[in-house]
Amino acid sequence: MRPAPPLLLLLPALVLLPLLLALPGLVHGGGWDLIAEFAGAAFTPSLDPVVLQSLLAGLWVTVAMALLGWGTSLFGGLLLGLASSRTVWRTLVGQELPAAVIRRLLAVPRSIHELLWGLLLLQLVGLQPAVAVLAIAIPYAALVARVVSDLLDALPTANLEALRASGAPAPAALLTALGPPLLPGVLSYGGYRLECALRSATLLGVFGLGGLGTELKLTLQSLEFHELWSGLWFLLVVMLLLEAGVGLLRRRWTMPRRFALHQAGVGRRGREMLLALLALLPLLLAVGWALGVDPVALGHWQPLPGLGSGRWQAVLSLPWLQLVGGTLVLTALATGLAVGLAPLQLLLAAPWPWLRRLVACGWVLARLWPPPLTLLLLLFVLKPGLITAALALGLHNLGILGRLLRESLDDQSPAVQEALVAAGSGPRLALFYGGLSGVARSYLAYGAYRSDVMLRETVVVGLAGAVGLGSQMLESLSSFAWDQLAALLVVYALLTLVGEDLSDRLRRRLLRQA
Amino acid sequence: MVKPEPAAPLLELRQITVAGRDRPRLEALDLRICSGERVALLGASGAGKSTLLAVANGSLPADAGQVLWQGLPPARSARQRRRQLARIGTLWQDMRLIEELSVQQNLNAARLAQWGWPRALLNLLLPLETAACAEALRQMELDPALLPQPVTALSGGQRQRLAMARLLRQQPSLLLADEPLASLDPRLATQLLALLLRQAQAPRALLLSLHRPDLLVGFDRVIGLRQGRLLFDCAAAAVDGACLRDLYGAEAAPP
Repeated sequence: MRPAPPLLLLLPALVLLPLLLALPGLVHGGGWDLIAEFAGAAFTPSLDPVVLQSLLAGLWVTVAMALLGWGTSLFGGLLLGLASSRTVWRTLVGQELPAAVIRRLLAVPRSIHELLWGLLLLQLVGLQPAVAVLAIAIPYAALVARVVSDLLDALPTANLEALRASGAPAPAALLTALGPPLLPGVLSYGGYRLECALRSATLLGVFGLGGLGTELKLTLQSLEFHELWSGLWFLLVVMLLLEAGVGLLRRRWTMPRRFALHQAGVGRRGREMLLALLALLPLLLAVGWALGVDPVALGHWQPLPGLGSGRWQAVLSLPWLQLVGGTLVLTALATGLAVGLAPLQLLLAAPWPWLRRLVACGWVLARLWPPPLTLLLLLFVLKPGLITAALALGLHNLGILGRLLRESLDDQSPAVQEALVAAGSGPRLALFYGGLSGVARSYLAYGAYRSDVMLRETVVVGLAGAVGLGSQMLESLSSFAWDQLAALLVVYALLTLVGEDLSDRLRRRLLRQA
Repeated sequence: MVKPEPAAPLLELRQITVAGRDRPRLEALDLRICSGERVALLGASGAGKSTLLAVANGSLPADAGQVLWQGLPPARSARQRRRQLARIGTLWQDMRLIEELSVQQNLNAARLAQWGWPRALLNLLLPLETAACAEALRQMELDPALLPQPVTALSGGQRQRLAMARLLRQQPSLLLADEPLASLDPRLATQLLALLLRQAQAPRALLLSLHRPDLLVGFDRVIGLRQGRLLFDCAAAAVDGACLRDLYGAEAAPP
């Protein structure tokens, strides 16, 4: 008795049942008027020029931090990706071992969320724009490196061997044989990372690292909803422009030739990409200069107080089981919510196109808002705790997963759905059988990857009170308990590495069956 | 609910026009198909055969004219309209099987119009109505042992038969088929056509578009379509070389 694909898609939504059961007990009574005021303010954002000016300045800082962090991670990630590719090492020195070693080492920066990097760097070098940039660049570079080396090692090497056999030197052969097939994948992923970088930069701002995020959090805490919405609308415009621009470039550069309407000149695509990359460098330098990034200031480290005092007894007495368990439950709840709710919403809205558009708008807002801000909003009406944190984390990721589900449904031929409708089945069942069957496996595979991201992101909703390792880390950080923090980081990194491995296996299994 | 009149034709098209880019895809077309009739639809590529079938099964609204199913226009209420659509079975040229599901689940997908959510969900978990599914396969001369197989494991000919078995599973009164024989070898095409014609006896009716005038044996009526207009509508025996030259010949030399 194995559930068939479309049913498989609805299984994660089962997590909604315990959530809905627990929700009434979490409502603390007050705060609904605040939520209503917040919702109403969406249509009456503040137009005060002073407010707008300060928000625009914050927006510029956020965008600049995202751009710099992303650019640095892209260049760094490409280099590290080459350095951790088995094919590259085998071709250059005839030995694969260094690739495996570098790959293992890169797992460490990857397993720590950018927020933690940000807060750690903040303690080390003090508040400066470079902190947010580095906080984004370090984990992102390790992520890009992994994707680049995975892509590289999955490419067929017949061409490469043919070139080598004809006497081409190793670097030239690598560039010629593997460069062109690698580019589309890297570009597609790079564009996606830029969208992530904008979300990360906003998030870092919420935790005080500057930019629009800081402004958003201050306006929310002082209940200035009209000013909050001005900022959110700005962010929305930038995010939609970015998503549209990235999509445009992706289609222009990665569309297979045979689909192109007119034959472009030979090498046009390559030239355009190279020019774009070359233009990126001075742009990044200019942005860095305008933002006031000072590499020298990064050299001045402050000594960390309290490290080495070694109160290891206190470290051991932390409720480790509870912390790890809380983190895992939080991840599972948020994953079920995000993965399961998107298809459910589409099914409910299937008969009405306007409702489908409304759901999609909801998803845009959900991925726009950093999870801690959603959390603060939820705390107006809900008690703090694990479920509230899971709601905030799940809703944010729902926005990302929902968009993906909609896009893959749009890419699919509607023929089967039309056939079912023509045979008299309702629009919901037609979508369920005819539409969701085809996308179920690839969507769940992405959901498995996303669960791994959510495990890393649990730290972001640590503000919600005792909800696992994330909140304990934030607490240890603010009380300068460095020994506790070091132990927590190690456990957290181990946990995310195990989670990454599990989600990888699940993803591969789902895709193999597809 | 208004009951369909028993004596009314299963399908009636009145002055149907569907606009196209250069010329109408269908123009002022009249057609009646009564229970027990087996009608072949002939015409060159682009003559409007698929458009006519799409209007007949309700998936394409006409720009002008009226469609009547068993004497009734398409219902306004979604529920009643679905009940009307469930009486019309379509055999699509590309078959439109659900690739991710098993043979039995695909057969049962034809019952979704009658089934609510509980059974639709159960169908994805358990084998439902196995006897009826096996019977539908047997009528199409397929082995019931195929029921638990994934659709992707079937051969081209088996897929075509499965699509027809699904059509039977829907229990429609009007059968529409859009060039179901186009991609089959001659022996298989004759076999499948015989199976389909055997199923299309009163109170059912069949409207089948095809490209091959040599397969008209067994049909009661033949309709010729040219550039969206009805060229002839006569008994199958009356179709001769002159009719076919009119239908296909002029198309070769553009006006």
